[in-house]
Amino acid sequence: MILLQAKPLETIEDAYERLQTAIEIEFSTLPPYLYTKFSILPGANDKAASYLGDIVGQEMIHMCLACNILNSLGGKPILSKPTAQPPFPPIFPTTLPGDIGPPDGNPIMVHLLPFSQCAMEQGMAIEQPANPILFASAGSADDQTETIGQFYAKLDAFLSTLDPGAWTGADQIDDSQFFAGQLFAINSYEDAHRAIIQIVSEGEGSSDSPLDFQNEVSHYYRFKEMCLNQVLTKSPNPPGYQWGPAAFGIDWNAAYPAICDPTNHDFSHEPAPAQAAQAACNLAYSRLVDLLELAMNGQQGQLGAAVRAMFDLRKAAMVALQTPLNDGQVAGPSFLYTPTTGASS
Amino acid sequence: MSVLETPRILFRGNVAWDPIVTNNYTGLYDEAEGETVLPPAADTYEQVLAFRSEAIDAVPPDPNKPNQRNWDPQGTHRSVFFDLAAPDAACPDSTITDSQISSVDLGGGATADDPFVGAPARFSGKLVDLEPYGSYSSQLFFDAMTFGIDGGCRIVAKRRTRVTARYINLNRNPVYYIAGFASIVWQTSFLTEDLIIDAFDSFVLQALQAALGEPGVIGLTVRWVNYRTIYYDCPDLATDLTLRTDTANALVDKLRVNDSSGGGVWQPNPARSKMVGVIGLWREGEPLHEPGDRALLSTAPPGPPAKPPSVATGFARLDGNSLTLDLGSSMPETGLDLTKQNWGILSVVALDPSQPDGFVPLASIGYDEATHPGCQGYYARDYYEAQSGIVTLAIDGSSLSSTLPLQIRAGAKVLLDEAVFRAVPLVPNQYIDEGDPAEVSFQIYVNGIPGGGGTDVTVWAFDANNDVVPNPPSTFPWNGQAGPDGRFSVPVPSNVPGLVSYVPVIGANQPAPQNGLNPQLDTYAYVRILPADASVAARAPTWDNVYTLVLANWNAMAPCMDNWLDLHDPEQVRAFGPAIKRLTDPANLEWFSYMPVTRDMTAGERTLLYNFLDSPAPSKALGAEAAAPAQEAPDELLKASRFMRSP
Repeated sequence: MILLQAKPLETIEDAYERLQTAIEIEFSTLPPYLYTKFSILPGANDKAASYLGDIVGQEMIHMCLACNILNSLGGKPILSKPTAQPPFPPIFPTTLPGDIGPPDGNPIMVHLLPFSQCAMEQGMAIEQPANPILFASAGSADDQTETIGQFYAKLDAFLSTLDPGAWTGADQIDDSQFFAGQLFAINSYEDAHRAIIQIVSEGEGSSDSPLDFQNEVSHYYRFKEMCLNQVLTKSPNPPGYQWGPAAFGIDWNAAYPAICDPTNHDFSHEPAPAQAAQAACNLAYSRLVDLLELAMNGQQGQLGAAVRAMFDLRKAAMVALQTPLNDGQVAGPSFLYTPTTGASS
Repeated sequence: MSVLETPRILFRGNVAWDPIVTNNYTGLYDEAEGETVLPPAADTYEQVLAFRSEAIDAVPPDPNKPNQRNWDPQGTHRSVFFDLAAPDAACPDSTITDSQISSVDLGGGATADDPFVGAPARFSGKLVDLEPYGSYSSQLFFDAMTFGIDGGCRIVAKRRTRVTARYINLNRNPVYYIAGFASIVWQTSFLTEDLIIDAFDSFVLQALQAALGEPGVIGLTVRWVNYRTIYYDCPDLATDLTLRTDTANALVDKLRVNDSSGGGVWQPNPARSKMVGVIGLWREGEPLHEPGDRALLSTAPPGPPAKPPSVATGFARLDGNSLTLDLGSSMPETGLDLTKQNWGILSVVALDPSQPDGFVPLASIGYDEATHPGCQGYYARDYYEAQSGIVTLAIDGSSLSSTLPLQIRAGAKVLLDEAVFRAVPLVPNQYIDEGDPAEVSFQIYVNGIPGGGGTDVTVWAFDANNDVVPNPPSTFPWNGQAGPDGRFSVPVPSNVPGLVSYVPVIGANQPAPQNGLNPQLDTYAYVRILPADASVAARAPTWDNVYTLVLANWNAMAPCMDNWLDLHDPEQVRAFGPAIKRLTDPANLEWFSYMPVTRDMTAGERTLLYNFLDSPAPSKALGAEAAAPAQEAPDELLKASRFMRSP
């Protein structure tokens, strides 16, 4: 479970900081989830690949909605702070932005993991609500920390106190081109509240249901399904669901033999094609980040370019995952960001 | 029949449409040849780039090209059911928000009291028109459709064949932009062996499972109606002419920004529609792809679109003391807020010459309960959305002959009139290679039931301009008789590339339908003959040839393919050779991921491409000749169809 430092939320500047944290958290889930998805062999684990793709899409939407809220309140989303400490986008393995972990433990170290049970456990850890329905509480947040759900709840409460005039509706990304029905402009607290419900619901479900507001399985329980290789199944007994008996249909072996955390790997001694593949992945990723930042700051047309960059990243990842290293393994994208030129207009 | 009997499941929601529409226009695409019309340039790739730019130029309204409105040059063809996280801008109080199961009917009327209600409806297909210029032959290619979720109450339906559009209604909504005036009926069916139904505690799914085991039930049919289509995510375009230009220019700006950044192009611009639908039993003999129920045909004259709105063709099933009407595509709205036009009380009658008035009154349908209390059914928006436009009426059927023709009237005015005999094609849309044997086959239905053995039939052929194909050179009109089972097949020529619709008319030596094919009144089989391109097949399998004569066509028209494959890169094309062969194999035409998405690759082009993929020798690009644009549409109905492309 991610636990964030509970901070005072009393001013609009506090809200800016919170929203920037939200943006960074949502964005930071993308590389690990994408690494896992990319590493699935083509034509294998179709259901898992589809669900992982859905989760990635929803995290993108969450990030865009958080940007919309921040922009509407007069803030400025930042997606690249390469010289900051810690830098953003993060270099994996890393803790997620703002995560301080429980008082008696360490924050979750998020890795780039190929398709595996470990990757699913990591996804569960990232998405875990305070009290997962089917399990005894592993420890609710104390006064110093808060879960992502609690983080958003506090943010929502503060936003409800703002004067209606605080909402400018500036620089909004809507669903006119991508994510039909899911991305919408934030012009009022009611819009922001709706967005926060969507974000929390899709990640955690609700306190009494593993389903999100669209009656789909929420992220935490989806990762759990894959981890257990059992379908979360409707049950006549409270709380209404059980694991299995149907198998999810996972084939853990149907994945590229990809290394973990390629960022930690020294590619200088690897074959030139592997080095080139990494460079191509990093370039596509960097370009994606830069284009997204432009899109989230008033240049909506760049979202289309960013989506294109996302496809370029996928193509580059496919090449990388088919390019052997010296030991016969392969490496997916390292997701190393370097500011690009040419992305700006 | 089918979805009009119980048990049935109702759903509703939203659909996003994202087709590349550049091939809707004669100056940009030659639909007879299946070729992109590339502009002159130094080499083929320059032609492709120039074409892409030309496609963007065609986005804004151009007074010099009034017949062209290229609203989505970089679409994906993806068409998906989606949920609304925020209220509908044009109709905030609509009950249609998420795409989901809305109610079920076990025979006692629609109810939300079933665990399956609220389950998500999920569909992703690719919208491709057999005839790109027109709007009568739309299809959705897909792999599976799901209602509900894994582990919960659900139906998973594996595709047997594409979803087919029929009965397009060009008079649904008077406030519109582009094709926003239209509604359309979509249908496909699934064999029992291709279904997974997890019923759990859902009564309706349990009932469906039981019914699927009954004799004569072969699977499920899914039918839905789309209406109120909005473009650029902007309902105000319907009334604000300046905004039309502004939004189009804004899209162009995005497309140009994207180009200038060097990252390629990727700016889809989906349109969105409302949807109401129904899932029901598919019985042996029922059409897979379009309603075979009793057809209540619209009496309204065709076109011009949406002026004035009229009641469109609907369908009916008479079953003892119950009369079920599918008015999903029938009842027009007054505007984008989806308020239904009030036609007063509609009376449903059965024509009976033995009666003093010539008919037997069966039931009445009011606008809503407050306005017209005491009616057996209602058609105002709330009722429509709750019941997917299906109205079930309790009648006294004890002494009623089921063969009496039905009518729906507003006062003395007949709005819908049953055509007792209908000849429905067995295969609605066909792609045929030039020179291959081809035929169109039909099943006759009498009062919605397969039959009509020995019935005389005339079949007319219309070209893509909705003109009768003359005889000679064709052998049409064809005259013949249905066999004992009510079926008949007609050999059709395949020696000339192009598009022909075959329209059956009941009776011998019948005249051609007035004004040509009318999708509200006529059934039809559409056939697209793709050129053989034998000369292309015979070319040396060099990269120059394969790019110029094959791949440039889609590299120009379908930028979406760049997502995973650069068609201008011989190394990539070779590297993906096995995948390309699999995705272009005609045996896989029904696949969601079939290539080219436009399904207009000729046999000759495929041969040259495969010869290239099987050979080791790459080389460089050549020029290509632009094909001549086809002629503009002449008649009123065709104009109405084309109007959707070219407002």
